[in-house]
Amino acid sequence: MNELSTVFVVDDDQAVRDSLGLLLKSVGINSRLFDSAQALIDAYDPDWRGCVVLDIRMPGMSGMELQQQLIELHCALPVIFITGHGDVPMAVDAMQKGAFDFIQKPFRDQELLDRINQAINLDAAQRSEEEQQRAVGERYETLTPREREVMECVVRGLANKVIAMDLELSQRTVEIHRARVMEKMHARSLAELVRMSLMIEGTAGSRA
Amino acid sequence: MVWATRKSGTDTRSPALGEHPATVPAGASNAGLDSELGAAEFDALLNAAIDGIMVIDEQGLIVRVNRSAESMLGYSAEQLLGRSLNMIMSDEDAGRHDNYVGQYLRTGRRRIIGIGREVLARRKDGSVFPVSLSVGEVRLKGEIRFVGLMRDLTAEKQAEEEALHHREEMMHVSRLTTMGEMAAAMAHEINQPLSAIATYTAACLRLIARDESNITEVVSALESINAQAHRAGEVIRRIRSFTRSRELSRRPVTITSLIEEIRPLAELDAKASSIRLDFSLDPSLPEIVADVVQIQQVVLNLIRNGVDAIRESPAERRKLLLEATVGTDSQLRIAITDQGPGIDESLRDRLFTPFFTTKSTGMGMGLAISRSIITAHGGTLDFRNNVDGGATFWFTLPIHPEE
Repeated sequence: MNELSTVFVVDDDQAVRDSLGLLLKSVGINSRLFDSAQALIDAYDPDWRGCVVLDIRMPGMSGMELQQQLIELHCALPVIFITGHGDVPMAVDAMQKGAFDFIQKPFRDQELLDRINQAINLDAAQRSEEEQQRAVGERYETLTPREREVMECVVRGLANKVIAMDLELSQRTVEIHRARVMEKMHARSLAELVRMSLMIEGTAGSRA
Repeated sequence: MVWATRKSGTDTRSPALGEHPATVPAGASNAGLDSELGAAEFDALLNAAIDGIMVIDEQGLIVRVNRSAESMLGYSAEQLLGRSLNMIMSDEDAGRHDNYVGQYLRTGRRRIIGIGREVLARRKDGSVFPVSLSVGEVRLKGEIRFVGLMRDLTAEKQAEEEALHHREEMMHVSRLTTMGEMAAAMAHEINQPLSAIATYTAACLRLIARDESNITEVVSALESINAQAHRAGEVIRRIRSFTRSRELSRRPVTITSLIEEIRPLAELDAKASSIRLDFSLDPSLPEIVADVVQIQQVVLNLIRNGVDAIRESPAERRKLLLEATVGTDSQLRIAITDQGPGIDESLRDRLFTPFFTTKSTGMGMGLAISRSIITAHGGTLDFRNNVDGGATFWFTLPIHPEE
C-alpha cells in the first residue's frame, strides 16, 4: 500500500460516509470524508494521491457533475462511483466519461476494497510514469541543440558514420556527443534511450 | 327533487313529505277530513303516500298506519296498532324519543314535534335502517294526535357513503401512485442504511480480526448500526402510514408538524434528482383543522410536481422552496416555488381537470385531487408564474379559531 495514498470519499449520507471511513481505516487505508461535491472541490489539491469514491446521487452538485469538474481541473485521480439500484444508465455514462469503475449498493466490502486498491495502484502507476516523464523531460532540457540532433539520429537507429555524414561532423565528434547524451539522459542502453525519446514525444504531443 | 312555488312566488325546494309538518289546530278547514272524504277515501289517500305515515296517540301508541309504513317496517297493520312507537325504533332512538314526547307534553318544548329528525328505525326482523322522521301534532275534538312521517333514507345514505368511499378510494390510489412514482427514491432511502450497516459490520469484523484493541471504535460502530437499522424501519413506517387505506378524520394540527412528518419522504425524492429542497416553516404558525394525510398528500404532490419541473434544469436552478406563512386574509398559506420553466398560461384552465397531464408517466390526477382536498378543507389551491422564471403552487387553509 502506498503510504501517501488517500481515498477521498464524497457522500452526503453521514452514516454511509462514516462507515466507509471506518472500513478503510480497518484495512489501514487513509481516507478523507466530504459531505458534498462542492466540499471536495473547495479542498482540492493537485498533489492529492489515491482515488475518489463518489455517491452518484447527491443534492446540489451530483456525482456526475463533480466528475466533470474534476476533468476540468485536470485531476487524474481515478473515480469510483457508488450507485443505487436504478442508476446503471447513469453509471454507464460516467464510465464513458472516464470513471475508473462503479459499484452497486449494497456492496460486499471486499469488492469495494479490491476496486479501491486497483484504483490506488493505477494512480500510483500514473504518478510514477508522470514523474519519470518529468525527470526525462528535465534531463532532456540539459542537452545542447547539437546533442539533441545527435540523440534524434541515434534513436532512429542510424550508425555513427551516417550521423557524422548527415550532420557534417567527424565520426569522433559524434561519438563524444553520443556518450554525453547517454550520460546526461541516464540511459544505460540504446533501448532505454529510445523509450525516453518516446516519452518526450508523448508529452510534447499531449501538451500541443 | 322537484321545485315548488311558494304563494309568494319564490322558488323553493319542495320539502319531502312532512319534513316541516305544521301543527294543525282543531277546527281548521281540514279538521273534519274523515267526514268529508269518507273513511275509505282517506285510507286510500294515506296508502297512496310513498312515505310511511303513522298516527300516534298521547301515550305514544300507534293508532293508524299506512301501507308504506307496513312494508317499510315489515309489520302488518294489526301487529302495529296499539303498540308503542318504540317498537319500530332502534333502542337508542326509542329512549330518546320517549323523552322528547314526554318533554313536549310537559313543557311544550319541541325536540321532535314539528321538527324533522334523522333516526334509526327497526324492522320486524330486527334490522336497523335510517329514516327521516317528522312528527306533526293534530288536536282533534280535544284529543292530541301525532302524525309521524317516515322516509326511508337507506338508498340516500348508501349513495352518500358510496360517494365518500369512492372519493377516499381515489385519494388512496393517488397516494399509491405518488409513492409508486417515488419508489426508486424509497428503495434508495432504504438502501442507504442497509449499505451503511453492511459496511460498518464489515469494518468491525476487520477491526476485531486485527490484534490491536479497538473496542471503542467497534462499540461506536455498533451504535451506528443500531441507529441505521431504526432509520430503515422508520422509512418503511412512513411509507405505510402514508399509503394505507383509511377513514377520513380531521383534527387540529400545526402545519409544521404535518409537514415535518413527510419531510424525509419529500427530501429523498428531491435528492434522487439532485434537487435541493428548502423548508421555511415557522414553528409558531397557528393550528388548522385538517385531515393530516390528505394535506400531506397535497404537499407531497406539489413537491413531486416541482421536482419533475426542474429535474432537467442546471444545478444552480435545481432548488425547491416550501414556505408556510399567515396571509393577510388570516388564512394559512403554503407555497411551493420551483425555478423551472413555468407553466404555459394556456394550460391554466385544464391543469386542474382530471386526467390532464403533461408528463409521460402519471395519471393526471394529482392536481385535480389536490384541489378537491383543499376545497373540501375550505381553502384555495392555485399557481402563479414568477417574474424570475419558475412557478409557485400555493394553497390556503383556514386557521383553526382558538378556543
